[in-house]
Amino acid sequence: MNYTKRLLAEVGLEPERLEMFFLSSAEGVRFAEIATEMTERARRLGPSPLKNEKRFEQPTEVEG
Amino acid sequence: MIVAEQKPLNEIKALIADADKVLILGCGTCVTVCFAGGEKEVAILASQLRMATRLDGQEKEIRELTVQRQCEFEYNELAADYVSDADIVVSLACGIGVQTMNEQYPDKLTVPGLNTGGLSQPTEQGVWEERCQACGDCVLALTGGLCPVARCAKSLLNGPCGGSQRGICEVYADRETPCVWDQIYKRLEKLGKLDMLMEIQPAKNWHSSRDGGQRKIVREDLRL
Repeated sequence: MNYTKRLLAEVGLEPERLEMFFLSSAEGVRFAEIATEMTERARRLGPSPLKNEKRFEQPTEVEG
Repeated sequence: MIVAEQKPLNEIKALIADADKVLILGCGTCVTVCFAGGEKEVAILASQLRMATRLDGQEKEIRELTVQRQCEFEYNELAADYVSDADIVVSLACGIGVQTMNEQYPDKLTVPGLNTGGLSQPTEQGVWEERCQACGDCVLALTGGLCPVARCAKSLLNGPCGGSQRGICEVYADRETPCVWDQIYKRLEKLGKLDMLMEIQPAKNWHSSRDGGQRKIVREDLRL
């Protein structure tokens, strides 16, 4: 995981976009916590600069 | 085996800066075993370059291929279509592979993606230590099977020198590298052959090594 994070940093992406968690299928609460944490992290970092930019364009208001 | 390490990503990016289509060409032999230039490393580098060049706003077409042995023409023939389609080839082979590609495909530049690091033994997971310097006149029979040419910082043939302290070589900053002449002494002692060290070895003829220029082995019995 550290190695892969270093590869991302070399490329110029934030390494914290990637994370690995260990948990069992019985840990639903923990899963929800992780999902929330990663969602917040993704929001804070913003869209990946590698994604198609059009996908993130705000719809323009139609005049008239 | 021949061991190598990948060059820094920025150096490789600079090498391919003027190209639009890039072929990353791995080698399935030594550099695969030392995790530097096999199929997996080719895929990782290609992926990194795709992302990095896209982030730079200069997205390139990166293709991947790994041949069994890049130091031999017949294996590289399989790469012909890939090579002709590329503007530049980044070789993840040792320096021999890079030169073989440049000789075989003279109209296309093949640049090195690795730094070749020697003839080494994997001494533990993730560690490769140089064991042979390919000097062309093997002295291992005189030294209990440990090579002073490659493993003594001074390549002494009549060691140890005064810098051997408690079995450690004085040269390396880590203060952990063993003095190979200390090891040779202990090995010959164990074999009951310490008398071998009483014989003073004459100055080595380095002509068979690099001092004689580029070396060439010709086996007439094998030639066609």
